[in-house]
Amino acid sequence: MALGVIYTGEPEAAIKDFVKLLMKHKDIQGAVIPVKMEREGSYAFVFTKSPEVVDKSSPIAPVMPVQGARVLSKLTKRKPLTKPAVAVLKPCEVRAARELSKINQVCMESFITVSFDCPGVYPTKSFLKNADALEEEFKKGLKGLSVSGVRPLCESCTYFTGEFADFEVQFAGINEVRIIARSQRAEAILKGLGKAEEVEERDKKAIEAVLEARKKAKEALKTEFAEKVSTPEKLLSVLSSCINCHNCRSVCPICFCRECFFDSDSLKTPPHLYLERASRKGGLRFMPDTLLFHLGRMNHMSLSCVSCGTCEDACPNMVPVSRLFALVSERTRAIFDYVPGIDDRPSPFLEYREEELEEYEMPYYEARS
Amino acid sequence: MSEKGFEPKIVGFLCYWCSYTAADLAGISRLKYPPNIRIIRVMCSSRVDPVFIIKALLDGADGVLVAGCKPGDCHYQKGNYYARRKVALTKKILESLGLEPERVMLSWVPASEAPKFAEVVKEFTERIRKLGPNPMKERVFV
Repeated sequence: MALGVIYTGEPEAAIKDFVKLLMKHKDIQGAVIPVKMEREGSYAFVFTKSPEVVDKSSPIAPVMPVQGARVLSKLTKRKPLTKPAVAVLKPCEVRAARELSKINQVCMESFITVSFDCPGVYPTKSFLKNADALEEEFKKGLKGLSVSGVRPLCESCTYFTGEFADFEVQFAGINEVRIIARSQRAEAILKGLGKAEEVEERDKKAIEAVLEARKKAKEALKTEFAEKVSTPEKLLSVLSSCINCHNCRSVCPICFCRECFFDSDSLKTPPHLYLERASRKGGLRFMPDTLLFHLGRMNHMSLSCVSCGTCEDACPNMVPVSRLFALVSERTRAIFDYVPGIDDRPSPFLEYREEELEEYEMPYYEARS
Repeated sequence: MSEKGFEPKIVGFLCYWCSYTAADLAGISRLKYPPNIRIIRVMCSSRVDPVFIIKALLDGADGVLVAGCKPGDCHYQKGNYYARRKVALTKKILESLGLEPERVMLSWVPASEAPKFAEVVKEFTERIRKLGPNPMKERVFV
C-alpha cells in the first residue's frame, strides 16, 4: 500500500487531470509538459502556468526530439526556481535528470517529477514521414506497452516504469490509472491537497511479460551489435557514414559542458599541419578525428549514459550511435557497479576508493590470464 | 617494418611531483633506459584526460604510459585515485571495441626511485616491442 490517487479512463487524460490538480497546490508554480505543435506535427516541451495549455498537452508523446532532462537543466542550472514546477517526463528523462543533478546541472528540488509506464518513442524521422498513422498505432499499443517501430534502445529498455520520479503513473496491465507517491515530498503534497488515499500498488506480475520481452530484446541487441563492432575494421565501417557534425553530443542530456573539449582549440590542427599528419599516416580522412571524437566522448560520458537513444535520433546519417554507446556504457559502468540515474551514489568520476582496480595497474593481459 | 627494425614510440605522461622527478633523477644518476619514451610532464596524473591517451594512440604512438605518485602519496592527496579510475575506464572502452588495451599502462613511480622508473620504461618498451606496431597509426580512415 502507498499513498496515491486513482483515476479511471485514459492514461493521458488522467495525467493531465493530475497535473492540473498539482498546479492548484500553493507551493507549485506551473508545469513542464510535452505539447503537440499544431503546424509541424511534432512535439515539444512547454513550460506553462496555464491549465488550458495542460489541457492541450500530450503527456505521453510518441516522439522525443528534445530530452526532457536538458529542459530541466536549462531552467535550473544557474539557480533553483522560486517555487517548484511539475515536470512530466519519460523514465529515461527522469534518470538523466537525476544523473545531471549529481553534477549540479539540474536542481531536482525545483521539480515535482511525474513519470509513467513508457512504451518507447518513435525515431523522429520515421514519425514525421507518417505521423497520423503512427499516432493512431501508438495510442492503440499504449496500454499494453507494445508499440512496434520504436527506437532500438526503447525496444530493449528495462527501466520503463516511473518509479524513480516523485509520482509514478501506473496503467499497463491494470484497468485503472494509479498515481502513486514515491517520495516524502510527493506524499506531503498529496496530503496538502487533501487527496491522499491508500492505494494498492500494481502487482509486479502485471508487467512481467513486457519486462521479459524487453530483457530478451536487450540480450539480442547486446550480442548482435557487439559482433558488429568487435574489431577496429568493423567499428570503422559502422562509423563510416559519420560526418563529425557533433549532433549526437548536442542533443545528449549528459553532455552538459558549455564548451566541448572536441570543439576547443586544443584539438584543432592548424591548416599547414594537415599535410604532415597525412604523410605520417599515408593519408588523412576528412573530417578528421571522427574516431577520436566518439572514443573520447565515450570516456567522458559513458558512465552516466542513460541509454535514451536521443543521439541516434539526431544523427543525420543513420550511424547507430546510441547502440554503440549503450553497449560500451554497459561495460564501463560494470567496473564500478554503477547504474546511472538509479544509483544514489555520486558519479564514479567524483569518488574513489583507496584500494580498488589493482588489475588495471599492471599490464592488461597478465590480469586477464 | 620488420619485427627487428621496429622501434616503438611511447608517449609517457608523468606527474610533476613523483614520476617526472624520478625520471629526472634517473637522468642525473645516469641510469640507462630505452630512448623510446617521449615524456610529457603534467602537474598530476589526473590531469591526463582519456582523450590525450586516445589521441596519442590514433596519431602515431605505439604505447602510452601514465605514471603518477604511489596511492596515498599524491601531492594533491587524491589525484592519482581519480587517474586510476580514468585509465581503467579507457582500457575498458578500448577492450570493448577490440582496440588493444595492452598499449596503455598505468604505473606508480615515487620521486626517489629512479631505478624503478628505468625498470618500468624498459619493461613497457619490451612489451610494446613484442606487441608490434600499433595498427591504428597507419590507418587512414580514423
